[in-house]
Amino acid sequence: MKEEVILKVEHLNKAFGGLRACHEVNYEMGAGELSAIIGPNGAGKSTFFNLLTGYHRVDSGEVLYKNRDITNWPPYRIARLGIARAFQVSNIYPALTTYENVRQAILTQQKRTLNLFTPAKQLVKEETLELLEITGISEHSNVISGNLSQGDKKRLELAIALGCKPELLFLDEPTAGMSGEETHETMGLVERLNREMGLTILFTEHDMSVVFGYARRLTVLHQGAIIAQGTPQEVRENETAQKIYLGEEA
Amino acid sequence: MQRYVVMKKYWWLALVFVGALILPLVIQVFWIHIAIEILILGLFAVSFNMIFGYMGQLSFGHAAYYGVGAYATGLLMLKASVPLLVCLPVSMIAAGICALIFGYFCIRLTGIYFAILTMAFGQLMYYIIFQWYSFTGGDDGLQGIVPPDFLFGAIPYYYFTLFIVTAGLIVMWFISESPFGYTMRAIRDNTDRTRFIGINVRRYMLINFVIAAMFAGLAGGLLGPFNRSIAPDLCNWHQSGIPVFMTVIGGPLGFFGPMIGSLIYTFLFAFVTGFTEYWPLVIGVVITLVVLYMPGGVLGLAGERMKVYRSKRVKAGANESVDMGSV
Amino acid sequence: MDLSLVMAQFLSGLFRGMMLFLIASGLSLIFGVMNILNFAHASLWLVGAYFAYTFWYLLQDYGFGLWLSIALASLTLAGIGWIIEVVLIRRVYDRGLPEQLLLTYAMVLIIGDLIKLTWGVEDRIIARPPLVAGPVFFLGIPFDSYFIFVILVGAAVAIGLWWFLKKTRYGHIVRAAVFSREMVSALGIPIPRIYTGVFVLGIFIAGLAGAVQAPVGSITLGMDMAVIIQAFCVVVIGGFGSLLGTFVGSIIVGEVYAFSILFWPQGALVLIFVVTALILIIRPWGLFGTPMRA
Repeated sequence: MKEEVILKVEHLNKAFGGLRACHEVNYEMGAGELSAIIGPNGAGKSTFFNLLTGYHRVDSGEVLYKNRDITNWPPYRIARLGIARAFQVSNIYPALTTYENVRQAILTQQKRTLNLFTPAKQLVKEETLELLEITGISEHSNVISGNLSQGDKKRLELAIALGCKPELLFLDEPTAGMSGEETHETMGLVERLNREMGLTILFTEHDMSVVFGYARRLTVLHQGAIIAQGTPQEVRENETAQKIYLGEEA
Repeated sequence: MQRYVVMKKYWWLALVFVGALILPLVIQVFWIHIAIEILILGLFAVSFNMIFGYMGQLSFGHAAYYGVGAYATGLLMLKASVPLLVCLPVSMIAAGICALIFGYFCIRLTGIYFAILTMAFGQLMYYIIFQWYSFTGGDDGLQGIVPPDFLFGAIPYYYFTLFIVTAGLIVMWFISESPFGYTMRAIRDNTDRTRFIGINVRRYMLINFVIAAMFAGLAGGLLGPFNRSIAPDLCNWHQSGIPVFMTVIGGPLGFFGPMIGSLIYTFLFAFVTGFTEYWPLVIGVVITLVVLYMPGGVLGLAGERMKVYRSKRVKAGANESVDMGSV
Repeated sequence: MDLSLVMAQFLSGLFRGMMLFLIASGLSLIFGVMNILNFAHASLWLVGAYFAYTFWYLLQDYGFGLWLSIALASLTLAGIGWIIEVVLIRRVYDRGLPEQLLLTYAMVLIIGDLIKLTWGVEDRIIARPPLVAGPVFFLGIPFDSYFIFVILVGAAVAIGLWWFLKKTRYGHIVRAAVFSREMVSALGIPIPRIYTGVFVLGIFIAGLAGAVQAPVGSITLGMDMAVIIQAFCVVVIGGFGSLLGTFVGSIIVGEVYAFSILFWPQGALVLIFVVTALILIIRPWGLFGTPMRA
C-alpha cells in the first residue's frame, strides 16, 4: 500500500553563519500521512518548516510538492498550493476578533480578497462559524484575539491554518501550553482531519505522549540532520535516537 | 431587518448629513467656505488613513497626489476648458498613475524608510512642478481657476463638494469594510501571517496605495475651483503633514477619525489665524499635546481595540515580525 | 571644460558639503543611536545661527567677537538640546513612529515661530572680521577665505567625532547602543543617560554648524526648510548612524549641487532627490549604513 508521495525533500541544506540548521535532509511524505518530527531544542525543526514554506531560502537542495519544484517559492505562492502552517508561537492577528482572524484565511483561500465592495461581514459566515466550532473557540468569536488565553490562541492558530483549506498541514507544537484535556481535544481533531478528510499532516512536538499516541511515522532531528526514522516503535528502539535525544532530555 | 439594523447603528451619521445639508441656510458665507475646506481636507485625510490606519504605514508624501490632482484639474480647466466634471476623474487617474510609479518602490520598504521615501517622492513632485515653469507656471502657480457657471458661488460649490466628498467617503467606507479592506487590516496587524495564508502582500499594498492616492487626487481636484488658484506648495512635506495631524487628532482607528480631525484642524486654523500670525506655534503646541497626552486622538479615548493596538506598538517602527520559533 | 571653473565648482561643492556634514552628522548620530528622526534638526541649526548673531552683536567691539560667539552659540544650543530631550523627546522613545515624527515636526513649527518672535523677520548679517573678509587665492582663483575656516571646522568635527566614537569608552558605549541597546543596558549602563548625551551632542554640533553658517551671506527665516531636506538626503545616501557615510554623503550632495549648477541649475535639487530615491530603493540603509537597521 504505497501512498502517493506528495512531499519530497532532497538534500536540503541551510546554515546560519556557522550554525548548521539543516544538513543533508532527505524526507518524503505520502498523501494522508500523519507524521511527526522530533528533536531537542535547536535541532532544526522550525527551520525545516521555514524552508519548506518559503520563509527562508535554502542553501542547497530541493523541495518538491506533488512533483512540482517549489524550492524558494515565496510563502504566499506556497500557501496557495494548499500548504498551510500553524506556528509554534501563535502567529495570529491580535487586533482582530477571533471570528475575523478565521474569516481572513477563508476569504483568502476563496480568492475573494480583491473584492472591494461587498461588506466582509456578509461573506463566508457558515464556513467561518464551522471552523470556529470544530476548533472549539466559537464562544470567543467576538473577543479581540490578542486577549485570548494561550491555549485558545493555539486553537485559533490551527483554525487559521485550516481556513486555508490545505492538503498539507504543518503544525509546530500544536499542543504547547495546553492542558491534558485540551491536548486530547486538539489531537483528536488533528487525527479526525487526517482520517476523514485525508489531510496530510506533519507536526513537531515535545510532548512524547502526543507523539507516540498519534504519529504513525516519526523522524528524529539532531543538529539539523536526521538521525532516525520509522514507526514510533522502531524509533523508540533505535539506539542512536535514545542516546542523543533521550539522553539530552533527561 | 438588515437595513433596519444598519440604520439604527448609523443614525448619528444620518443626522450629521442632514445637518450638513441645511448648514448653508443658517451660517454666513465665510463659514460656508470653511465647511468646504473641511470637506476637501477631510477627504484628503481619510484617503491618507487608508494607508496609515488600515495598512499601518506612515506616508509623509501623500500630498504629492493631492497636488497632482489639483494641477490636473487646474491645467485642464485653464488650458483646455475641460468641464469640471470631466476633470475630476482625470485627476483621480493622474494621481493614481503617479502612485503606481512611486508606490511600486515605496511599498518595498516599511516603517521609517517608507516614510522617508514617500517624503522624498513628495518633494520630488514638488520640485518638478516648481521647476517646470513653462507647463505649470512654477512658483507663480495657476491662477484664475473658475468653477463652471452652475457652481459659481459658495453655496452651490458647497453642495457640490458635499456631494462628491460624501460619495468618495461612501466608496472608501465600502472598501474598508470589504474583504480587501480587511486584508489591509491583516497586513497591518501581522504582515508575515498574511503572506502565509496566501496573499501577495506587496501587490495588495500597491493597490491600496494607488486607491488612496486616487482619492487624494479627487480632493485636490476639488480644491482648485474653490481656491481659484493653486501652487506647488500643495505637494510639499508641510502639506503632507496636514493629513497626519488630522488623523492623529481625530484618531486613526475609526473611519471618521480623520474627518473629525479635519473639522478640528480647520476650525482651529480659521479661528487662530483670525487674531494671530503665529499659527505654526499654536498648531505645533496642539500637536505636541495631542501626541503626548491623547494617544488615540479624539476617537480613541475609549474602546477595547485601543488597548490591544497600544500594547502592540511597544517598539518604534511598524510591523515587527513575530517570532518564528526556535531554530 | 575650463579647469579653473571645475576647480571653483569643486571647492564650492566641498564647502557646501562641509556645511551639510556639520548639520547632518548630528542628525545621523541621533537617528543611529536613538532611532529618532529629528525633523527639527535644521531648525535648531538656524537657532544656532541666530544666537551667533546675537552674541556677535553684543561682542562687536572685540576683535575675537565672532569666534567667541560661535563657541557661545554652540554651548547655548547644547543647553537647549538638553532641555528638549528631557522635556519632550524622552517621552516618545517607546511610542510608535508617527508620534515621534509628529513630535519633531511640531518642534519645527514651534521653533520656527519662536525664532520669528525673538529675532523678528528681518535678515541678520554678521560683518566678518578682516581675517576672513577677503578672498584667498588658490591656483589663481579667488575663494572666500571663510571657506577655509568652514572646511577646517568640518574636518575638526569629523575627526573629533571619529576619535570620540572609536577611541573613547563613552564612544564605544554609544556604538554598542546602535547595535543593541538591550545588551548595553544589560551591562548596567543606563540607556537614558546615553540618549540624553547623544542628543545633546547632536544638537551641539547643529548649533556649531549654524553658528559657523551665520557669517556666510545673511541669516533668514525659513533657511532651515531647504536645509533639512538636503540633510535628510545626506543621511539617507550615506547611511544612518555611520559617520563615514554622513561625510561621504555630504560631499556627494555638495558636489552634485555644485556641478549641476553648471548644466542644469534648476535641476540641482531634483537630481539630489533622484539619487536619494535611488539609494532608498536599491540600498535603503545607505552606502555605509548597517543593513540590520532596515
